[in-house]
Amino acid sequence: MQERETAERADNPVVKDLGVTLFQSKGPAAGVPRLAVLASALLMIAGVGMTPAVAQQPSPSPTVAAPLAPPAPDAAANVAPDDPQGATPGNDTAPQEIRGGDGPEAAGADAYQPLGPEWIRGVPADPRQDFAKALTFQDQYSNTGNYALWMHNWVLLPIIVAITLFVLALLLIVIVRYNRRRNAVPSKTTHNTLIEVVWTVVPALLLLVIAIPSIRLLAKQYEAPPENAVTIKATGYQWYWTYTYMDNGEFEIISNMMPEEEAQARGFPSHLEVDNRLVVPVNTPIRLQTTAADVIHSFAVPSLWFKLDAIPGRLNERMLTIREPGIYYGQCSELCGARHAYMPIAIEALPRPQWEAWVRAQGGTLGDEAEAEAGAQPAAVPAATEAAAPAAGAAE
Amino acid sequence: MEASRNLRTGLLAGGIALAMLALGFAAVPLYRIFCQVTGFGGTTQIASEADAVLAERFARSAGTRPISIRFDASTARDLPWSFRPVQITDRVQIGERDLAFYTARNDGDRPITGVASFNVSPASTGKYFHKVQCFCFTEQTLQPGEEVRMPVLFYVDPAILDDENARNVEQITLSYTFHEALEPAAGTSGPAAGGALRSQQAS
Amino acid sequence: MATTADAFQAHGDVPAHSHADDKPGFFARWFMSTNHKDIGTLYLMFAVFAGLVGGAISGIMRAELADPGIQYLGWWVSLMGGEASLSANLHMWNVLITAHGLIMVFFMVMPAMIGGFGNWFVPLMIGAPDMAFPRMNNVSFWLTFVGFMSLMFSLFVPGDISGALGAGTGWTLYAPLSTDIGSPGPAVDFAIFALHLAGAGSILGATNFITTIFNMRAPGMTLHKMPLFVWSVLVTAFLLLLALPVLAAAITMVLTDRNFGTTFFEPAGGGDPVLYQHLFWFFGHPEVYIMILPGFGMISQIVATFSRKPVFGYLGMAYAMVAIGVIGFVVWAHHMYTVGLDVNTKMYFTAATMIIAVPTGVKIFSWIATMWGGSLEFKSPMVWALGFIFLFTIGGVTGVVLANGGIDDALHDTYYVVAHFHYVLSMGAVFSIFAGWYYWYGKMFGRMHSEFLAHLHFWMFFIGVNITFFPMHFLGMNGMPRRIPDYPTYFQYWNNVASVGYMVIAASLIPFIANIIYAHTVGRRAPANYWGEGATTLEWTLSSPPPYHQFETLPVIEDHHSYHDHMPRDPGVATPART
Repeated sequence: MQERETAERADNPVVKDLGVTLFQSKGPAAGVPRLAVLASALLMIAGVGMTPAVAQQPSPSPTVAAPLAPPAPDAAANVAPDDPQGATPGNDTAPQEIRGGDGPEAAGADAYQPLGPEWIRGVPADPRQDFAKALTFQDQYSNTGNYALWMHNWVLLPIIVAITLFVLALLLIVIVRYNRRRNAVPSKTTHNTLIEVVWTVVPALLLLVIAIPSIRLLAKQYEAPPENAVTIKATGYQWYWTYTYMDNGEFEIISNMMPEEEAQARGFPSHLEVDNRLVVPVNTPIRLQTTAADVIHSFAVPSLWFKLDAIPGRLNERMLTIREPGIYYGQCSELCGARHAYMPIAIEALPRPQWEAWVRAQGGTLGDEAEAEAGAQPAAVPAATEAAAPAAGAAE
Repeated sequence: MEASRNLRTGLLAGGIALAMLALGFAAVPLYRIFCQVTGFGGTTQIASEADAVLAERFARSAGTRPISIRFDASTARDLPWSFRPVQITDRVQIGERDLAFYTARNDGDRPITGVASFNVSPASTGKYFHKVQCFCFTEQTLQPGEEVRMPVLFYVDPAILDDENARNVEQITLSYTFHEALEPAAGTSGPAAGGALRSQQAS
Repeated sequence: MATTADAFQAHGDVPAHSHADDKPGFFARWFMSTNHKDIGTLYLMFAVFAGLVGGAISGIMRAELADPGIQYLGWWVSLMGGEASLSANLHMWNVLITAHGLIMVFFMVMPAMIGGFGNWFVPLMIGAPDMAFPRMNNVSFWLTFVGFMSLMFSLFVPGDISGALGAGTGWTLYAPLSTDIGSPGPAVDFAIFALHLAGAGSILGATNFITTIFNMRAPGMTLHKMPLFVWSVLVTAFLLLLALPVLAAAITMVLTDRNFGTTFFEPAGGGDPVLYQHLFWFFGHPEVYIMILPGFGMISQIVATFSRKPVFGYLGMAYAMVAIGVIGFVVWAHHMYTVGLDVNTKMYFTAATMIIAVPTGVKIFSWIATMWGGSLEFKSPMVWALGFIFLFTIGGVTGVVLANGGIDDALHDTYYVVAHFHYVLSMGAVFSIFAGWYYWYGKMFGRMHSEFLAHLHFWMFFIGVNITFFPMHFLGMNGMPRRIPDYPTYFQYWNNVASVGYMVIAASLIPFIANIIYAHTVGRRAPANYWGEGATTLEWTLSSPPPYHQFETLPVIEDHHSYHDHMPRDPGVATPART
């Protein structure tokens, strides 16, 4: 995966583009997974801070044609002093460290650029390029996804492969040893209580072994999002998604599939890329809510181990935390009519400052957000209520 | 002899099939009751004033933590209404009553009767979310251009603190989706209890 | 089956050329039939026909999926008399998957197993002269047939919101895609009507089987001596009786929502689309056992026959099927893990679903134990049965993976699910149908098939289905959703492979059909018991084909024989007398 991306980047014309140079200043080294991506995120921000000339480039470069409006002029002024992230303990990744001290330069973060193809993380593997990766799940980039993938690879897969091979071996033994030539006289055994008990109890025990991580996984997936989680409502329509940023001025993004030719021309996967992505902050709990306006749809992103139906007349909710900046693709996963195949999902996870810049560029607000955040951090909860909560617990 | 025995068995089997058919239809009210009783799928509860007073008294004496409530509004695709909560989130003390408002405006050019479906998220909190009054209990008819403020009076049952699946919930989302009522019922709306508060000039 | 080896002592044989072979004229015999064997034959012919139609549809699907883009759908739209456009073409895809699913489930597997083999062999195996309600039996068949016609008719009337032809809701008919919000045209009404008819036919059939099995067993044939195939049909009949009416209720409500203004599943009137899914899967999960249990029964008969050994753990086998049937009714929501269930519900359904693996494991291991120490002969039915056991195991273990509610968040509605249920159905159910077909072909039609062609059919089919369906696991894990006609290029490789596999499957039908022709041209006349002393159930005591009316004097299953000691004790006697 890493190798491929690096290779793609090397011969990608976009690399030379100014806007992308920001993200590109130091890419992850080939063969160094995960950490390298984090490091690149860090350096990306560093790039923003240290190259003000680039950062203040007013309009996006032509090759990375941004579907978004340029940031509002006053937004730049607001951002520098207002720096809630510095105080957010959950956000202790690289971006904040850089950003903390860089008041003026941070304004550069406002020059939102949609991530380019080199940032694609959550995407299927093509067997023609990476055979082994195409045999299994996509790499996981969410908290629950890693655990689920571990459970599949190290609990379920060994068990099911072992059972299958065991049955196959028994069948082969039977075929070889007990055929009519080798064994002309059949035995008359029709009972063996011991073995019948064994083959009832052993599978039951195996299921118990599976059940423990399975229930832990479910518990993880159902952790309630914190109060200050970024709340986004995804609404399924025939045949597109809209994303409403409930805490950021309720602005709405309409997300349609990008035409095939355009996607290919710009280096994005066709059928998966969209015109307007669902842009979210990285390493931040997201309260993702789904509903639908007409028929049932399903919001699914394989690389985040996330799938939640969007049902007309009701609201579903699940927490989602993405661990790395990048682009994650998914597709509607409930048959919803003719163009069911053509309503993809593309999530763009950005470091918090970039995400905020994007929100402002959409005309959204961050005020409520900051306020809610301050109020919800355990440390910041008013002492009185904090005292009340354990008291209530004790009373009951 | 044989034939009548067969007939009896056959009729018995047919009776089982008919019973299952009846059960299939009965599933509709049974499911509704099941959801209302258990809060399954985030179904909210209906409480009387007396229940609310009781919960409030209990909460005051026991002491509870606050909980955040998020108000969500959706409209079905073909309904030309603007439907929003007046406040997006609110913090309430668990057990205390809270009054929240939604506004709805008919942007269409004909009178439309709407009806709201609703649930709360996470689904495990449905059992503890009690509505005392709600606009969703009745249909709402809006004239073209008319805007109404609609109240919902609710409280969160302190019993939520005893439920290990709901205890840690920091925010409950109360969601409404307005649909065009399939059969317009005249005169069902009005500033009655749970009905909309009509305002001539917007909110 | 072991329990009825006693049949050799039965006195039920009918002399040739008694009035037992008086047959009515052609029309009366095939259109007004009350004879269980003729009705069974009708069901089998119908299932073969429907299977070819359903298989041809999957051919169109595999051709379309071989490469990304939309290649052939427009052609099909025009052929079916529609107006080709992008949305009509895409809707055609949904029509194809819907038709493929409904045909294979309701008009191929169920008619073949229950209507075909069940009708043919349940009365024979229990020593009954016919089914309890012969006329109702005929009604069952023709209801199924007319249901199929109704489904075919739905292909030619408008379906979706753009007016494109056919019902494109998937076989699950989820509301509101199946109500007038998603499919305003009358096509869905006809599809629902098809299910009503087929469902009514199956309910009548289930009533018939239950009555026959409870009341018409030959003297001495206690429930615990019944062949396992009869057990499997009995359990299946109860599943049908309990599950199908719920489907009927659910789709009737969809029908009234569509046509009479009710709002059972429409939130606009206080209904809940999720309730439809609960009702559908309350039927739908038992339905998958309805499709596989008779297969379990047939495999038990065949494995015992060709091992020349009674089934290992007979009672365990019978009650494992009962257990599977019972548990099958309390696991339905594992098909709905992503609808927004709360955590407790999901944990319950995860646990309950995994428990099914226990009785299923008992069956797999009992089959192997039956063969263990046996004297296996690899005739074509046995080869199909061995293929069944292995492939069904693969389908079973992926079922354990899917049972985990948390894991299912990645796999739900992906090709992994498609692979899973094709391994248990397209390889489980269909392999057992072919096993039964070759096992009983001579018995039913009086002519022997070619073992060579049957083996060729097996190997081509075995290779074909594995090439087709195994890569779908990879596609699903990698994230390819089900029910899409067009996909990102990442998925091209394995889809291409799967489509090649389809061609192998399609080619395997050549030896299958050639074998039918072979049997009726050069095939030898089948003797009464052409599988030798391993074949111990009552049908082997009769001529091939059995007399038109069998067991006019009921056979007596003598009591002093138990299934422990029915086998010939003298090895000399046991020398195979092969045909």
